[in-house]
Amino acid sequence: MAEPVPGSEPQPSASVDEDELVRGAREGDLAAYDELVKRYQERIYATLYHMTSNHEDANDLAQEAFIKAFHALKSFKGGSSFYTWLYRIAVNKTINFLKQRKNRTHMSLDDMDFNAEHDPDLMALISDQTPRRAAGLSELQKKLNEALMKLSEHHRLVVVMHDVQGLSHEEIAEAAGCNVGTVRSRLFYARQQLQGFLADYLKTT
Amino acid sequence: MNENENNFESLRRLLALKRHETPPPGYFDHFSGTVMARIRAGEGGAAERQESGLSWLSRMLAAFEAKPAFAGAFAFSLCLFLVFGIVYAERPDVLPQPMLQSQQDSSPLAYATTPGGLNSLPAEQPVAVAISSSTNPVFSSQSAGPWFASQGAAVQPVNFILPGN
Repeated sequence: MAEPVPGSEPQPSASVDEDELVRGAREGDLAAYDELVKRYQERIYATLYHMTSNHEDANDLAQEAFIKAFHALKSFKGGSSFYTWLYRIAVNKTINFLKQRKNRTHMSLDDMDFNAEHDPDLMALISDQTPRRAAGLSELQKKLNEALMKLSEHHRLVVVMHDVQGLSHEEIAEAAGCNVGTVRSRLFYARQQLQGFLADYLKTT
Repeated sequence: MNENENNFESLRRLLALKRHETPPPGYFDHFSGTVMARIRAGEGGAAERQESGLSWLSRMLAAFEAKPAFAGAFAFSLCLFLVFGIVYAERPDVLPQPMLQSQQDSSPLAYATTPGGLNSLPAEQPVAVAISSSTNPVFSSQSAGPWFASQGAAVQPVNFILPGN
């Protein structure tokens, strides 16, 4: 199961209001849509950032995804949650973008927040032996992002949504437009690949 | 699957560090405002485009972008139309049958399309009718000779001399 990520769980009261907000936005109420944007901007942005490893690209893609979703609201039938539907738009847009950007990769390497330096997991992972000791925070981040970028878009998406964003297999399947079995197999394959890429940075048990 | 989860525990903890990668402070304070401004600007732009008569094209392109199936169906219908056009163009000439049938009895055009050609045209039939009734080239240089011969006309070479030469 995916670990819950702070801020990623839908709040009960918020989900009740969501239908009304969607209905209002569909009728052209921009204030209602503004509320929906505020509600999901961080999660959508974070996913797109981890997919692209670039803040500027993630910013553009997130904005375009929200704009496209607004114009496509009339086609939203309500079969899934608005969040999943929005996620699918953002993900499709990002995968298309990444296919076009195939040969162009640039990372932003100094984007970790201050709290990362005090994360016990990070301290534990930067071992006191081997090259891991020398690897600073930015070096680790660079390697992590490089390893992720070596995965195909679909495998990276599943890892990001599950291991970084904390979404369940079912939610990922709905957003990615595939079945749960495919999500599980992609996740397993992607993790295997990452383990190989990041062998130096993973503690041997 | 649980065993797999345990095998990847270190990797998952490492990947979880990416949650610390955040945009600059205050970034989300302006995000929704920017999105809403772009939506408003887009609506204004759409109204202007509608006035200029280009909206149908932009709507079609937007539909292509939003629904790949629609784009595929449009492309398929275009291909089908092209193939139909090529096949139809390569067929042997087909004359409009109803027109011919209505003039089947005595029209010179009907004679021109029969295997005997104009050679079987009755002598009293005026040729001008055949010319005026069709835009197709009815006569050829080969078929003119026998018809004139059947009229008993002698063909003589003519040599014009221009004044001053």
